[in-house]
Amino acid sequence: MVFIFGFNFPEQTLVKRSLETFYGIGPKVSRRIMARFHIHHTEKVGSLRNPQILDLNAELSNMKIENDLRREVQDNIRRLRDMGTYRGRRHAMGLPVRGQRTRTQITTARKLNKMERGGSGRVQM
Amino acid sequence: MPSSTCLRRFSQLSLDNASYAPIASRNLLTTPQASCFSTSRARYANPTARKGMVAPPKRGTKTLNVKKGKSAPGRDTGKRPAPGERKAMRKRIVLSNINALEVRTLKDLDKANVLSKNNEGQVLGLPNEVVDALRAVEAFKTTQGWSLFRRPATLYRKETTEVAELIKQVEEAGEGQKKTIRRVLIGDRMSGKSTLLLQALMMAFMRDWVVVNLPDAKDIVIAHTEYAPLPNSNPTQYTQDAYTAALLSQISKANEAVLQNLPVITNPTLPIALPSKSNLKQLADIGAANPEASWPIFNALWAELTKPGRPPLILAIDNLSHIMRHSAYLSADVKPIHAFDLTLISHFISHLSGQTSLPNGGLVLAATTNSNSPSSPAMEFSLEVAEKKRYGGEVPRWNPYKHVDERVTSVLRDVEVLKVGGLSKEEARCLLEYYAASGMVRGRVDEGYVGEKWSLAGMGNCGELERVAIRMRV
Repeated sequence: MVFIFGFNFPEQTLVKRSLETFYGIGPKVSRRIMARFHIHHTEKVGSLRNPQILDLNAELSNMKIENDLRREVQDNIRRLRDMGTYRGRRHAMGLPVRGQRTRTQITTARKLNKMERGGSGRVQM
Repeated sequence: MPSSTCLRRFSQLSLDNASYAPIASRNLLTTPQASCFSTSRARYANPTARKGMVAPPKRGTKTLNVKKGKSAPGRDTGKRPAPGERKAMRKRIVLSNINALEVRTLKDLDKANVLSKNNEGQVLGLPNEVVDALRAVEAFKTTQGWSLFRRPATLYRKETTEVAELIKQVEEAGEGQKKTIRRVLIGDRMSGKSTLLLQALMMAFMRDWVVVNLPDAKDIVIAHTEYAPLPNSNPTQYTQDAYTAALLSQISKANEAVLQNLPVITNPTLPIALPSKSNLKQLADIGAANPEASWPIFNALWAELTKPGRPPLILAIDNLSHIMRHSAYLSADVKPIHAFDLTLISHFISHLSGQTSLPNGGLVLAATTNSNSPSSPAMEFSLEVAEKKRYGGEVPRWNPYKHVDERVTSVLRDVEVLKVGGLSKEEARCLLEYYAASGMVRGRVDEGYVGEKWSLAGMGNCGELERVAIRMRV
């Protein structure tokens, strides 16, 4: 087991995959981070050298990911609502925000457009 | 529209079935029918349960099961292959087939006759120690037909003699005028470029050269092994510790006999202490065991091998086009790294381009491939120009609408090519006779048969000849 950013990963997990479990890191960001520390794209967590893991942890702790990022997104939505904007109201009601039709096909909006956007806590793999 | 008389005759024919029993038994319409062209009987027949039909499910039971995972119906419960097992199977090299006949007349190559011109047009066997060495440097490919014959043997074709001639030139050059000969092998798909490379390595092993072979350029550039920037290099170069260590272990294993007799004479500064009075094999082994020190050790080994009095070197690579472009590695600012910036490749390229020469003489060989080659317009153009210069023909002009990779053109500017063409009819005949002697061809090998197979194989393309003669059985 290897600790990255306070979470445990089995040794055979790909570094790319383990990075992308964090909220706020997708394919592009993980590519950038891995290139920065010269980690090739098929590298497994188990084969990382210790300095690389330390560098990775330092980099991740400087980034706005996980709960910090969730908080920022939620704050943005809350600000919209508190100002009384249309977008804020739509978020509060769980309806489409950007003028989409509401007669049909709003499951995505119902799922995502909430005040507590992004859920709370880390969703484990 | 048939007339009514005609229809009546036809209907009476089947009504008379009973009286014409022999005809009736052969008749397709044997079901007893009261009147023909009537469907009422079948329609009013009692609906009985048909064969193979089960009763419909009871109301309220769930019949649709589309679940995945453990509880899924009809799940494949077979044993999964262990990690690496499938790759090992894919890369497995089989060099012997106990079902094939042993060819009594097959002569073995040895150190004395390996470069002889008399070998041309003959199939000759590879001695066991060379087979082991070639296996160690991964010169055998899975696509080649070694697994069809009793033991590895190879045809000495015209191009093989040409390579043997080059090796002879290097060996015969006097002190102070050692030659470094550089060649790129080109030719059609399945024309035997990799096999020619193998033959060159084979000759080098037999003549006690030191062989450094990069078996597949693709493995170096697809970013499946670790990489790290080389400290104090400008522009930044990248080392591949795991790959270099594997290469060192290959070098040590394949050239064991030669390297054991060569003592370390320089005093290299290495990250890992070297025992006193060690030989070059020990040096390579240390590098293989310590990947983090593999690149300095490779450099030290190379410095040792290029000291005066050491044996000649052969440096070979297959799948050249993979290194003539950007690799899949990324630099720190997320830009693709050019393959020439990888230390191992830049080492090879500096020899291929003639920038660095081998002080003890040697051969630098690179084989192109047509089966799995990413496009590299600069390389294709340079090689075409080289081919036209060597074999005649109109030298092509660069298509200005294509992107030119200056680094590639500068490397391949004055490289020479060796074209691997089709076999001649005599060579094809010799090969087919060997196939027949191994029991792989059952028919008689005569003029007509050879001509037919030779033409079917696209004027003697070696791989196609194997395909039409022994792989494809009609």
